[in-house]
Order: sequence, then structure tokens, then C-alpha cells
Amino acid sequence: MSVTAVIFLTFIGLLFIGAPITLSLGAAAMGGMIFSGKPLEGLVEIAYTSVNSFPIMALPAFILSGALMESAGISRRLVAVAEAMAGPFTGGMAASTILSCLFFGAISGSGPATTAAVGMLMIPAMTRHGYDRGYAGAVTSSSGGLGVVIPPSIPMVIYGVTASQSIADLFIAGFIPGIMLAVALMTMNYFRSKKKKYKGDGKTLSAKKVLVTMREGFWSLLAPVIILGGIYTGFFTPTEAAIVSIFYTLFVGIFIYREIELKGVMKALESTTWITGRVLIIMFAALAFGQLLTINKIPDLIAQGLLDLTGNLYLIWVLIIIFLLFMGMFMETLATIMLVTPVLLPVMLSLGVDPIHFGVVLVCCCEIGFATPPLGENMFIASGVARTTLEDISMNALPFVFVSVLVVFLIAYFPVLTLWLPDFLGTLFQ
Amino acid sequence: MRAKPVLKFLDNIESYLCQILLVFFVCLLFLQILLRLVFGAMHTLSQHIAFFEHYPLPASIPWGEELSRMAFVWFVFLGATYAARLAAHNRVTFQFKIFPKIVGDVSTVFSDIVWIAFNCTMIYFSINVIKEGFEYPEYSPTLDWIMAYVFMIFPIAFSLMTIRIIQVNIMKHVFKIEIADVDKIDTGDEDDEIPESGVTS
Repeated sequence: MSVTAVIFLTFIGLLFIGAPITLSLGAAAMGGMIFSGKPLEGLVEIAYTSVNSFPIMALPAFILSGALMESAGISRRLVAVAEAMAGPFTGGMAASTILSCLFFGAISGSGPATTAAVGMLMIPAMTRHGYDRGYAGAVTSSSGGLGVVIPPSIPMVIYGVTASQSIADLFIAGFIPGIMLAVALMTMNYFRSKKKKYKGDGKTLSAKKVLVTMREGFWSLLAPVIILGGIYTGFFTPTEAAIVSIFYTLFVGIFIYREIELKGVMKALESTTWITGRVLIIMFAALAFGQLLTINKIPDLIAQGLLDLTGNLYLIWVLIIIFLLFMGMFMETLATIMLVTPVLLPVMLSLGVDPIHFGVVLVCCCEIGFATPPLGENMFIASGVARTTLEDISMNALPFVFVSVLVVFLIAYFPVLTLWLPDFLGTLFQ
Repeated sequence: MRAKPVLKFLDNIESYLCQILLVFFVCLLFLQILLRLVFGAMHTLSQHIAFFEHYPLPASIPWGEELSRMAFVWFVFLGATYAARLAAHNRVTFQFKIFPKIVGDVSTVFSDIVWIAFNCTMIYFSINVIKEGFEYPEYSPTLDWIMAYVFMIFPIAFSLMTIRIIQVNIMKHVFKIEIADVDKIDTGDEDDEIPESGVTS
């Protein structure tokens, strides 16, 4: 039995008996190290180096700022702007939900957090307007993933750290794909709403009303400008931008909107601790796992296998995307990224794919994974808020998943869609 | 009844420590940014105003980043321990749906025993690393601390995690306490029909 067999059998065996993902990865790496006679002290070193990094500190900071924005009243005002803009059209409430997720994605880096923040406000509003509960949940869970494609994005932070790529470049690259996904979702929503006879919210579209909500939401709309503007101009690193947004949110919540309560702040701190802890301890296990795979030349084997199958990059993208979507159905998002990156990135690099481009496609696939059963974090949240079954939501989400997959193929086949903006801004600010 | 607040405190001790560390490194990093902005502005000014030239200014706290990263490492591993107390670590459980409940329960308990074994191994080897670290000290670049002190978090965190795993299992199977799913969000109003998710994420 080879080391590779030991690693994979332990990993899959433990996952199957219901062990935490961290343990499955960690014990598999430990098993592989014992089997190949490596000293286990190395594992302790990896535990330290895996999280001893400045860029990865952006993760708790973005989680914390997202949680604070909820209680500071920033999210609510962003939703109001979206509603004034998209409400009057056919399927308007659902379109507002998608637009809200787009706006919210620009301040939050997490898919489930976006789904929760927007869903709590929009799902009840949609059902009041006569939308089917399943449809309302499906729209929210499908568009909640925009939170991770539109920068800032926690999965991109993880990819950037695992692949040693510039997180700022990834953030810029995700912008156009995020808009494309939102447009695709809105188009699909328009046709489905027409068929289901979901009308607008009955109000007329007026520039004045949009302006009024925008003025009320001025400080909320300024948040993404500060975060993204700071990163794009190179003024802040992503970690610093996240820290600044925490204090910006506190400032707005305390002095301008005066909505934030001590209870909300304490709750935000508490949830940040365990969410970060459980995600980043996976980082340690995944890093050890990935290193063992690399030592045993698994990426080379996979690359060779792929190339033996076909030399056509378009076909390889098809295989990779299908594989990633499949992983996304069963695995936790960040764990998927940590696992897949060390194995697939060298393969794609050898085929001449840009690492930033690959990262964006990977994150987009994870975006879809949020809304596909059996493990779709967004769907769990949406089903909780919409009070309907997962099956109901997944059936309604299928058309949205379909258009999202189409967009992912577009993004994969036309690298210019991701790479143009970073290039352009790079020349602009140099 | 005096024991109750003490027990509650002990039950959440990792959470409290974690929150303190989080606030600490977030504020430290913010201070760094402020200093950079203020002194950056003064540096620009000094090129135009002669007054500032006579006062060389520190650009930032030199050890700030290192200290915040160390706080962060402690924060992550204590956070993981707290997540173990909340039974929040992601598991794949949908395969248990086709079996009677007992199969899933027994299987999960077995996986927790493997987890404890893994933690014990980590404790043993991290103590080895620390012992070695005191014998042949390695110092951190700017603070000049012996790195072995920073590594203390590993035996601490993995021991605490082991205790928490045992605690959660006793709560679940001996006292039959339902452990709330932390990923379920509170919708505010109690409702009769709560959809079954079947998967703990």
C-alpha cells in the first residue's frame, strides 16, 4: 500500500463516519507522515506557520465587520436602495434581493452572511408580495453567493494565501464576473417571474425615490467605496481595509445611525471567534495534507492523467468545473479551496492558465456550491428564514444554478473577463 | 448556588479569552494604520515645512505586526476549541439519513474517539517541540521572545479541545441535552414547522 492510498483512505473513511473535516484531513496527513516515516514534530510547525500570516488576518476582520454592519444598520439601508431601484419591475422584489446581495457583497466577504443579512429582510417581504416560499428562498440562496465573488471575499483570501497570489488582484478580478453572475440571475428571474406572474412592488420607478434612499444610505454606500477604493488604489492591504471597515462601521453605528448596541457588538465578537477558529484550524490540516500530496507528486500524476485524456484546454476546463461543482455539493467551501488549490493549481499553471484567472473560476464554482444540495450553506439559511424544506428550495434553485454555471464557463473560456480589470487598474495606478 | 456563575465562566473561558485577543489585535492593527497615516502625512509636510525636519518620527510600532500575529495564532486555536464546545466543527452527516439514528450516533462517537487520539498525539509532539525550543532557543525577529512560549498554545488548545469533546459527548449522550445547531440562524419568531435540514454544516 502506498502513502497516497493511506492518505486518501483515511480521509474518506473518516469523513464517511462523520468526523469533522479538520480531523479527517489532519489524521490523514498524520497517518501519511507516520507511514512514510516523517517526524510528527513537522505537523506542529505546520500548525504554527499555517496561521502565522498577515494576509489571513483579513478573514476574522471581514467576518467581524460583516457582523457589525448588521447591527449598525448598514445592511438595512443598502437593501432599501436596491429595493427602490429594482422593485418596480416584473419580479421586482426578487430582483431587489439579487441587487441587495450585489451591494452587500461589496462590504461582506461571506456567502452565508450575505444570504442571512439580505434574506432576513427580503424573504419575508417577498412572501408578503405573494411569492412562493421556495422561490423566495431559492433566489436568496443563489444570489447570496455573490458575496464571495464581489470583493471583498473570504474564499479569495484563502485562495490567495494558499496559492501565494496577490489578494488585491484577486479582489479586482472578481468584480466583472460578479456583475455578470448578478445580471444572469436577474435575467433568469425576469423570465421566471413573468411566467409565475410575479408583478413589481406596485410603486413606480422614480429617480427621486432612488436618490432619497441613496441619501439616507449614504454612509452605508460609502463603506464599499472605502474598502474597495482603499484596496484598489493600493492605499490599504486587504487586511488593513478589513480593519478600517470595522472601525468605520463602529463609527457609523455609534455616531451617525446610532443604532448599534453593546449587545450586538458582543454577539459579533463571539460569533467571529468560533467561525474563525473552526475555519482556520482546517487551514492547518489542509496545509499538512496538501504538502504530503505534493511530496508524493499527486498533482503531477493528475496533470499527466488529464493530459493523456485530452490536450484541449477547453475540455480540461469542462472536467475541472464539473469536478469543482461536484466537490461544492459535498464539501465546505473554504476546505474545498484549501484542498483543491495545491493539487489543481500546478496542473493549470502547466497548461498556461493565469493563477488569478483560475482562482476566480474556483471561487465562482464555490459560489454555486453554496446553493447546491446536500451541503449548501446558503440553502440551510434560506430554508430557515423562508420556513420551507431544502427540497423545495433546491428545486426552485435549479434554473438559477444553471445560468450561474453558464456564466462560469464564460469566465473560464474568456480569461480577459477576469484579467482585464486588474491589468487596467495596474497601469492606471503605476 | 455560588458555583453557578463560576461554572458558566469556565464553560465559556475560551470564548472570553478569544474575544480579548480579537479586540487586542484588531485595535493594535488599527493603531498601526493610524500611525502610518499620521506620520505619512507629516512626512509629506516635512518636505515643505522646515519645522518638521528637526523631528525624526517613528513610522510605526516596529513590533506591532509580530505581536498581532502571535495574538492571532492564539486566537485561532482557542477559537477552534470554543467551536468544539459548541459542536460547530463541520461534519458530513447526510449519509446517516438512510440509517436509523443510532448508527449515526455510534459512528460520530467513534469519530470523536479518533479525534481525541489525534489531539493526544498533537499534545505529545508539541510538548517535544517546546522542550527542544527551550534547549535550543529560537527568538522572534522583533520582540526577541523565545518562540517556545508562543508554541505553548498547542498543548493548551489541544488539551482543552479534548476536554470539550468529552464534555459535549457527555452532555449529548448521558444528560441528553440537545446541543443547538449554531449555524441555524434565529429568525426572531418561534414557529411550529421548522424544516429538517438533515445536514449539520
